[in-house]
Amino acid sequence: MLTRRHFLSGTGAGLFLSGYPVHGFTKNAIEGRIVVVLLEGGMDGLLAVPPIGDDNLFKQRRALVASNPLKLNPLFGVHPNFEKFSSMLLNDEASIIHATSFPYVGRSHFEGQNVLQGGMLEPFSIKTGWLGRAMDIANIAGKAMSLETPLIIRGANDFDNFYPARIKHSRLPSFETLRLIQSTHASKTAKVIEKLTKNSMKMGGVSQARDPLSLAAEAGRAMREKDGPRVAVIKIPQFDDHSEIGTDTGHHPELFTLVDRTFGKLKSELKEEWNNTIVLTMTEFGRTVKENGSAGTDHGYGSVGLLAGGLINRSSVVANWPGLSNKDLYEKRDLYATIDYRSICAACLEAAFGLDHDLISDRVFLDKSIPRTYGHIFG
Amino acid sequence: MFGNKHKWARKIGFGFGPNELPPTDVESWNNSQLTSNFKSVGVAKRSLDVGVWPEEYNFSFEDRLRRAGEYDQGKKEIEKSKKLTSVEKKKRVRTLRDQTDVALFDVYKFWNSAIYGDDMVKQRLAHFWTNHFTIGGGGRRNYVIGDFIYRVIYGNLNSSFEQLLYKVTTHVGMLDYLDNADSVGERSESAKWARRNGKMQGLNDNLARELLELHSVSPDRMYTEDDIRNSAKILAGWGANTDSVIRKFYREQRRDNPAIGSLEKFIYEPYFKDRAEPGRKIVLDKKFHSGKKSLRQLTTMLANDDFTARHLSKKLAIHFIGESVSESEVDFIYNVWKDSKGNLDEVHKEVLNVTARSKERKFLWPSTWMFQAIRFSGSSFLPGFKGGNASFAKAVPSKLNYEPKKILEELGNSFWESRQPDGYSEKKDDWVSTEHFDRRIKVASRIYSFQPDRQGEEIATLLDFSDNTKMAIDKTSSMRDKFIVALCSPDFMEV
Repeated sequence: MLTRRHFLSGTGAGLFLSGYPVHGFTKNAIEGRIVVVLLEGGMDGLLAVPPIGDDNLFKQRRALVASNPLKLNPLFGVHPNFEKFSSMLLNDEASIIHATSFPYVGRSHFEGQNVLQGGMLEPFSIKTGWLGRAMDIANIAGKAMSLETPLIIRGANDFDNFYPARIKHSRLPSFETLRLIQSTHASKTAKVIEKLTKNSMKMGGVSQARDPLSLAAEAGRAMREKDGPRVAVIKIPQFDDHSEIGTDTGHHPELFTLVDRTFGKLKSELKEEWNNTIVLTMTEFGRTVKENGSAGTDHGYGSVGLLAGGLINRSSVVANWPGLSNKDLYEKRDLYATIDYRSICAACLEAAFGLDHDLISDRVFLDKSIPRTYGHIFG
Repeated sequence: MFGNKHKWARKIGFGFGPNELPPTDVESWNNSQLTSNFKSVGVAKRSLDVGVWPEEYNFSFEDRLRRAGEYDQGKKEIEKSKKLTSVEKKKRVRTLRDQTDVALFDVYKFWNSAIYGDDMVKQRLAHFWTNHFTIGGGGRRNYVIGDFIYRVIYGNLNSSFEQLLYKVTTHVGMLDYLDNADSVGERSESAKWARRNGKMQGLNDNLARELLELHSVSPDRMYTEDDIRNSAKILAGWGANTDSVIRKFYREQRRDNPAIGSLEKFIYEPYFKDRAEPGRKIVLDKKFHSGKKSLRQLTTMLANDDFTARHLSKKLAIHFIGESVSESEVDFIYNVWKDSKGNLDEVHKEVLNVTARSKERKFLWPSTWMFQAIRFSGSSFLPGFKGGNASFAKAVPSKLNYEPKKILEELGNSFWESRQPDGYSEKKDDWVSTEHFDRRIKVASRIYSFQPDRQGEEIATLLDFSDNTKMAIDKTSSMRDKFIVALCSPDFMEV
């Protein structure tokens, strides 16, 4: 556990003691995998990972603290619905980043989603995503488990999506016809159709279910293949509830269970590849610290990131805890984000793709000042 | 100016089917498309004699609430029954759902009017505005989405943006979807009562934020959090969840309550004074007094803001012309918007004029593409009604037909789906992926199974396809596959 003070002192010490590879070193031997789980709508980080050691939590949101969180350390607990994730924490294969966010304070879903997927400070300022750019640099293939191609993965040369169609009495025509359709399109679209043709050749045994869990299973299966994709993006929507979001039970807690099972499913399907994998959640913003008038919370700033996978060696809660008293809040309402989540994404890219941190900072996030947090998560 | 008439009708409508004669005077056709009162949406199977959509399936707002109430009440009674087994209960609930359903009829009408209707341009505009003011389905909201599309959006296409914005903002579907129904002024009577009783009530600024960000001025206006907060205060008191509106309406109706007049007010203008925030509010430097009328003043101010004119002129241009629309093309629409104070007839007319002059190509939404494919080819994929008096159950044998709703969902382009309030994307990139193409190709094949009159080669000729695409169609062996290649070529997907 790292409180504000520990975090600050730990930064230098950690770097020194663990003898991290110097910049420029790439761990080419590891064929790491990244799964990004997009929690759409703004997850309430204080409900998911309540700072039960902070007395102000109970003052600010009495009704929105789970009655029996699993205590991780004197400051933090985790909502009991994160059952599998908790055992991963105990197993030293999961970590939590708290009071974190992309540096975006506008509280708009669209801008927020755009910032967290695009990876730029200014919303709508780029047409590719940070993961896509990293994949492009590292020449890595990926898969989006959704009908649309999310911004986060755009920019990659080699990506595909998976979300089985359900059109009755209809199937794809011959490869010859698919090739002729392809011939009518310009290069970019033509490439997509070429990919479709390839996919249709190996269909057969693929599951047609498409709930987040089945998609996680399919992602895991595809990623454990020898030449399978090394990146997957899974969406879990509907975090955008503002009223009666639930405490022990209810809508937000049900979604926690879903996220938890998604972690579990990825682990069981990735099999031995789990050891080379990092799964990270992302959400566009946290929620207001106080509950609103309808037993819910509104769009805020700081939230929590959940990380799991065999690339982690030692579980920890990484936080530079800003506090929850009124004067500690951002604009007197939101949890401050004291850790730039871009730095966490950068560390995951470094761990899984073996890219140099400075390169990631410069060419993926187009910002040379992103701090290196690798040691706190993968050290 | 309008070039190939078939292409033009696809650019702004759904194209002319094999039984439709393109107009000789396109300009007057355009005008009548924008301003005529169309009595019906056509619903006949491959016949020149287009029937009238059955009046019994044009649900009024009251009909919708009544049917939803009947479903809720009936379901409760079935589930209470001690005689029925759980399997029988399920079956009865399902039958009851089909008997009281509204959304499937709305979707069916949505398809039918696109494929057979004589008001294609108005419909395309209705699709645009329905997307601009996104409300998503789910639960009881499914009962009111059709009302939103047909009564509020379509019904106000010939008015002003000011009127449209107010009507949309005060519709139960919007107040519910963007959580305003849960927003209570912190100094309101209701909140004071709640505090005395140990409960919490307060503002929810979701709708206020989208009203400024998406629906009107856009972030370019550089408003502040205070502007949003104060807009939320003006909005506080407006709205009730669809569920509670249904419950109250159903209860009062059954009682044959003489106060039905106030009930009407309750469903059309759901405003509750005890939840409203008292006192003055300032939004974008303008003062608003307390009371119900301040919302109209707010939407009027926003509707007439210069940034709204700019934001929406650009959005309309992108929708009909294409992503790379030029600033000068947007300026034409913007100028008309400003001069006419957002008169939608004038604005829409200018959109058509600018579209006609532009060389840009627009990648169509999957739903627009599909309706055009069915209509232009003359496929009877959706059979429609024979004549005007056939019942829905006859048109779709045995039970209600879920396929039209499902296919829109499969294409990722249904107005009945729950989705982000910024609506469906206008960008081609967002619609090009293996899964999207998989669906397009499969839907094209399905459309072919219903005997289109126009085959792939004829479609290519009528729409001046490129030589490259014509060659690909030529090389394709079967008639079905030629049709699929034609429909899934850029020449048909873009217009």
